[in-house]
Amino acid sequence: MLLTFKTMGALRWVLVGLSVIVAIFLLVPVIFIVALSFGSSQWLAFPPPGWTLRWYQELLADPRWLASMLTSAKIAALTTICAVTLGLLTSFALVRGNFRGRETLRAAFLTPMILPVVVIGVALYAFFLRIGLNGTLTGFVIAHTILALPFAIIPISNALEAFDKSIEDAAIVCGASPWEARLRVTLPGIRHGLFAGAIFSFLLSWDEVVVAIFMASPTLQTLPVRIWGSLRQDLSPVIAAASALLVLLTICLMIVAALVQKGRQK
Amino acid sequence: MSPEGTEEMTDSFLSIKNIRKTYGSVIAVEDVTLDIAKGEFLTFLGPSGSGKSTTLFAIAGFEAPTSGEVILDGQALLDIPSHKRNIGMVFQRYTLFPHLTVGENVAFPLRVRRKSASEIKSKVAEMLELVQLQDMADRLPSQMSGGQQQRVALARALAYDPPVLLMDEPLSALDKKLREEIQTQIRRIHKETGVTILYVTHDQEEALRLSDRIALFNQGRIEQVGTGHDLYFNPATRFVAGFIGNSNFLEVEAQGARDGRAKAVFPDGTQMDGVPLHTDGAGNEGSVLMVRPEAIRLETAASQGAGLPIRIFDTTFLGDAIQVDGRTSWGQTVTVRAPLSAGGAQGAGPGDTVNLQWNAEESHLFSNG
Repeated sequence: MLLTFKTMGALRWVLVGLSVIVAIFLLVPVIFIVALSFGSSQWLAFPPPGWTLRWYQELLADPRWLASMLTSAKIAALTTICAVTLGLLTSFALVRGNFRGRETLRAAFLTPMILPVVVIGVALYAFFLRIGLNGTLTGFVIAHTILALPFAIIPISNALEAFDKSIEDAAIVCGASPWEARLRVTLPGIRHGLFAGAIFSFLLSWDEVVVAIFMASPTLQTLPVRIWGSLRQDLSPVIAAASALLVLLTICLMIVAALVQKGRQK
Repeated sequence: MSPEGTEEMTDSFLSIKNIRKTYGSVIAVEDVTLDIAKGEFLTFLGPSGSGKSTTLFAIAGFEAPTSGEVILDGQALLDIPSHKRNIGMVFQRYTLFPHLTVGENVAFPLRVRRKSASEIKSKVAEMLELVQLQDMADRLPSQMSGGQQQRVALARALAYDPPVLLMDEPLSALDKKLREEIQTQIRRIHKETGVTILYVTHDQEEALRLSDRIALFNQGRIEQVGTGHDLYFNPATRFVAGFIGNSNFLEVEAQGARDGRAKAVFPDGTQMDGVPLHTDGAGNEGSVLMVRPEAIRLETAASQGAGLPIRIFDTTFLGDAIQVDGRTSWGQTVTVRAPLSAGGAQGAGPGDTVNLQWNAEESHLFSNG
């Protein structure tokens, strides 16, 4: 017999209890850091002795923090564009292509997801040192695009797989050239996949720290890199404020993604 | 085979010449040649894998045939890319563009052709009226039933007045009642527009209901082309006889073939003169006799004279007719469908022996290979 929530009897309260504990476990660090960002204590004391917006003022008044935010946003946006474009082309080859070694190629494209990030960081650092891309915006975007590519390919190729090729054929019979058909019919048809790929790529770049530490220079630091650096130098509640902003944007994007997903199911 | 070397005058509008398509060692279409007149409704009928869809896709441009050519209104078609062939097509699957409304779907081929806004507007209205969906222009495909979606697909395929409309089993996903309803609409639309239609189906009833002519496919070849009446009453091959309608196939020996007729001698010695004889190209004489269940009359064994005796083992009441299943003396089963109004051995039941009679004209001799 199927175990459903309704037939579980008293056990269901155990399940509810467990779920609440897991949720708290996952959320407490986030709540903790957000609470600290509003706390008046210099030393990140918890519970905060009082409440203040001072750290946000300091954060937004500091040109280095602002520069980092801008850098993060710029790199994340460029990474999104590159990852989605490449992911789209790759997905067409992987889904529609009919060649030997297609499955192997698909696996190869997903390796950045499996390889330890540190390994990728070291490898890219060594390679970029040779070609002079370390500490440049280009290098940063290339590195993050490599990491983001699997996260773009998976939703886009899933969407393309689900999209009936007959629909594209119908557009061609109707008189659209193959490129016109892909642009005007197939792309809108897989837009939810493209959108999911874009959000995942943006978020990956936005909160990525390991490879970013390798890529960063004193003048080019993303928000996570600056948070990491500040943690070691001066443990100021400004870090908490910066982290809270990082979390806020992430949550916003996740909500947008969820809404799009919901809209599609209607 | 030069595409330009075909200047001979012919009244065929669409000409399929020696189309052949192979995938490695697999032959999908062996050799198909067919002429279709302007305004004709021609159906490709056949079991799955018989090459009918592949032939249709070659005309649409989604499959490049290994050899052969297709001439449409004097122009070689195979060198033209699919999107420039100006052919209409309705697919087996639902292929409306999911992000566009019904009206925008029908407008799509006109937009691609850069027609003026006013022309598009009036054409879309005209097409939706043709398929009787004028109130649904603002719906999305996901808000419509399968039958409605296929009607919109039909409107979209006809919006640019294509000379030829291809339909690849467009109703196979619909239930029987809806299918018959849309078949009626397709017939009406064919009459109203006069468009030449090539229709693929594996459903013989659908083919008989819709078509002017039927091309019956089998194993990458056309077995016979003709009206439904031709295929039913004058099957050219044993395959045609077996595919269209119900048939009895009885073991016989054909003797004294002359003028396309022969004497059929059954294993029990019963004889029948003047049965039409069909040779299946190979030249060997017929050795199987085909007769439709409804062509057979039942006579009591006592009644004098000719007839093939069978022993009844089952009878089934079918309302307007009675189905009698019996076995010949050498063990072959025979099915007879006799109208209730007919006389003869109506009352016979299981265990009785009756004689079967039919007009020699209504049976056919085929080779047994």
